[in-house]
Amino acid sequence: MENTFTENLDFFRGANAAGSARRSAGNRLLNVACILLALLTFVPLVSILILLLEKGLPLLSWDVFTQLPPASGMEGGGFGNAVVGTLVMVGLALVLAVPLGVLSAVYANEYAPNSRLAHAVRFVAKLLTGIPSIICGVFAYAVVVLTTGHFSAWAGGVALSLLTLPTIFLTAEQALIGVPKAYREASYGLGATTFQTIWRIVLPDALPAIMTGIMLATARAAGETAPLIFTALFSQYWMHSIQEPTASLSVLIYNFSSLPFAHQVQMAWTASLVLVILVTIANVTAQLAFRKK
Amino acid sequence: MESQATAVTSPAQDADTGANFLKVTSFNFFYGKKQALFDISISIPQRQVTAFIGPSGCGKSTLLRNFNRMNELIDGVSHQGDITLNGQSIFDPKLELIALRRSIGMVFQKSNPFPKSIYENVVYSLRIAGQNNRKMLDETVERSLRGAALWDEVKDRLHDSALGLSGGQMQRLCIARAIANNPQVLLMDEPCSALDPIATAKVEELIHDLKKSFTIVIVTHNMQQATRCSDNTAFFYLGKLIEYDRTTKIFSNPSQKQTEDYITGRFG
Amino acid sequence: MPDGPHISGSFDNALHSLRNNVLMMSRLTERNIANAAKGLFDRDSDLSNVVIADDEEIDLLEIQIDRDGVETLLRFQPVASDLRRVVTAMKSSVNIERIADQAVNIARRSRKLNAEPALPIVHALEPMFAHATNMFGDAIRAYADDNADIGRSLKARDRELDELNRKFAEACTERMAAEPHAIQRYLNLIFIARFIERIGDHATNLGEDIVYSVAAEEIRHTQAAPVSVD
Repeated sequence: MENTFTENLDFFRGANAAGSARRSAGNRLLNVACILLALLTFVPLVSILILLLEKGLPLLSWDVFTQLPPASGMEGGGFGNAVVGTLVMVGLALVLAVPLGVLSAVYANEYAPNSRLAHAVRFVAKLLTGIPSIICGVFAYAVVVLTTGHFSAWAGGVALSLLTLPTIFLTAEQALIGVPKAYREASYGLGATTFQTIWRIVLPDALPAIMTGIMLATARAAGETAPLIFTALFSQYWMHSIQEPTASLSVLIYNFSSLPFAHQVQMAWTASLVLVILVTIANVTAQLAFRKK
Repeated sequence: MESQATAVTSPAQDADTGANFLKVTSFNFFYGKKQALFDISISIPQRQVTAFIGPSGCGKSTLLRNFNRMNELIDGVSHQGDITLNGQSIFDPKLELIALRRSIGMVFQKSNPFPKSIYENVVYSLRIAGQNNRKMLDETVERSLRGAALWDEVKDRLHDSALGLSGGQMQRLCIARAIANNPQVLLMDEPCSALDPIATAKVEELIHDLKKSFTIVIVTHNMQQATRCSDNTAFFYLGKLIEYDRTTKIFSNPSQKQTEDYITGRFG
Repeated sequence: MPDGPHISGSFDNALHSLRNNVLMMSRLTERNIANAAKGLFDRDSDLSNVVIADDEEIDLLEIQIDRDGVETLLRFQPVASDLRRVVTAMKSSVNIERIADQAVNIARRSRKLNAEPALPIVHALEPMFAHATNMFGDAIRAYADDNADIGRSLKARDRELDELNRKFAEACTERMAAEPHAIQRYLNLIFIARFIERIGDHATNLGEDIVYSVAAEEIRHTQAAPVSVD
C-alpha cells in the first residue's frame, strides 16, 4: 500500500519533469496569445472612435440638430431633419417588429414549442438573419412604395422592421429559454394559466435579455442605408408626416460623403459621430433601465 | 418470496372516513410509448404523511406528479385508470385543472421561489385567482409564513427579494407559498435533498405540524427521512407498487423480500 | 434531561416517554420490594399475594420499553448520547424486571414461611433488605439524574451485601444443625437472603449501564480502572 502511494506522489512531484515543463510553457504561450488577441480586438474599435471624434467633433454643435442640410457648396446648416427621420423610422420599425417578434417567440417557446409552425418560424427567422439589407429595401419598395405610389417614412419603417424582426425573434426566444424551467413549474403548480405564467413570471424575468436583443437590432437598423434608399429616399426639409420621403442619418452620410465639397464631407463625419452617440445612449439606457435587480 | 404486483395493504385505519382520501385505482402511465407506471392501486389517508420510497427511476416522482396533473406539461403522456380526490376523479373533464392545482400544493426538490419579494411569492396564488384585497393578502402572508415556521425570521423584510434567503429558508418559503391557498393535499418531491441537516430537521419538524391540517405525500430517496416523518410508506420498484403499509411495519418487518432487500441496502 | 431540546419535538417526546417508563417501572418495583419485606417481617401473606399480582404490570412495562426503544431507534436513528440513552433504557428495563422477579420470589417463600411458626433469625435479614433497597434506590437516582459517580459506587456496596449474605447463610447453617425440624424453614430463609443479594447484583448492573450511558465508560467485568468506549 505504502509503495504505490509514494509512487503516485513521485509522479506528481515531477518524476515527469520534462513533460510538465513543456505543458506549463504551452500554457503560458496560450495565455499570452489570448491576451494579445483580446487587445487586438480593441484596436479597430478604438481606432474608429478616435477617428470619429477627431473628424466629427469640430462641427458638432446644437446647430446640427436644429438646422436643415446645406445645399451643395454652401456652408453652415445641420441635419436636424435626418436625426428626426432616423429616430422616427427606427421607432416605426420597433413598433412593428417588437410585438411581432416577442409574441412569436412566446408562442414558439411557451405555447407550442414542438409544433410544426414553431419549427417553421424558427427556421425562417434563422434564414432571414442573413438576408442582405438591400433586399429588405426592395421588398418594402414593392409592397409599400409601389402600392401607395410614393416614397414614405413608413415604407422605411417597414423595411427596417423586416431587418430587425429575425434578430428580435431569435434573441427573445433565447431569453425565454433562459428563464429557469423551475419558475414555470412552480407557477403551474400553483394553478396559474399559461398566460398568467408568461405575463407574471416568464416575461419579467426574460425582459433584460429581450431588451438586449432589441438594442442589438436597433443599432443595426439605425445604421442601414440601402433599405432606406428604396423606401424613404431623402428630404431636405423637416418631416411633416410619415407619408412623405424622409431624411435619415445613414442616407445623409451616404449622400454627403460622395460630394466634392469639403464642408459636406465634414458634415458626414459629424453625422457619423452623432449616429454612434445616439446608438450608445440608447444601449446604455436600456441596460440601466432593464438590468436584473 | 414472490412479489405481487398489486400487494396493497391499506394501512390500518381508525374508523376514519379519510382512509381513501386520495385514491389511485389501477393506474397505468405512459411517456409516449414507454410505460412508467404499472397497475398502481393505493389509498392515501387524510391528514397523515405518506412516503414514497424506491430506487431512482422507480416511478415514485411520476406518480406524485400525476396527483396534480403536472405531467401534462410534457408532450405525449397518457394514462389508464383513475385517481380520485375525496371521491371525485381528478381527470374529470368537468373539473377545472386550475381548481385542481389550487387544491393540491406542490413543493419541489430544488426550492424555486420566484425572483420577486417574499411577500409577492406567498400571495402569488391569490393574485392569479384575482384576489388583490390588501388586508386578505396581508393575513394570508402571515398565516402561511407562520405555518411554515418562517414568520419570525422574515417578518421585518417581507418586501426583500426571496432570492436573498438561505437554502432552508427558501424551501420553507416554497412551503408557505404552497399552503397559502389552503390546499387539501401537499405534495413534496424530495424537499430536503438540497438542504443541510439542520435545515432538513427544521423542515421535517414542520411537516410534523403541517399534517394536522394537510394530507401530505412525500417522495424521498432518504429512507431515514421516511422513518422520521411518515406514518405510512409505499415502496416502488420499476414502476410497480411492491408494498404499502404503516411505516413502522415496513421498516421493522416488511412482508415482501424485495422491500427488505431495498431497505437493508442489499440492492438499489 | 440536562441537554437542550432537539429540533424534532417528536424525538424529544419519544426519549422522555422512554425515561418516564423506566422511572415508573422502578417505582413500582421499589414498592414491590417494600411490600415483599413487609409481608415477610409482618407475616402478612395477603401482602405477599399483592406483590405477586403487581408483578404483571412491571412485566408489561418491560415489553413496552423494549418496543418503544426499538421504535425510537428505527424512527430517529439516534447517535452519541441519545443512542446510549436509548440502549441503556432498554437494558435497564431488563435489570429492573429481574429485581422485580426477586421480589416475587421473596413473596412466594414468605407465604410458605408464614404458614409455619416464626423464626426469630428472620429479622437478621432487615439490614440486608435495607442495604439492597438503598442500592436500588440509588441506582434509580443515578438514572434519573444521569449521575455516573453513584453508578460507580454501587460495585463496592455490592461486595458488602455479598458479605452480609455469606454471614447470614453461615448463621442459618449453624442453627440448622441444632434444629433439624426447622431445616426447611431455614433453607427458605437462605433462599430469601440469596434473592436479596441478587437484587444488589442487578442494581449494580444498573449502575454499570448508567456509567456507560453518561460517561461512555465500560466498567463491567473489570476490577481495574474504567475504560472509555469511544
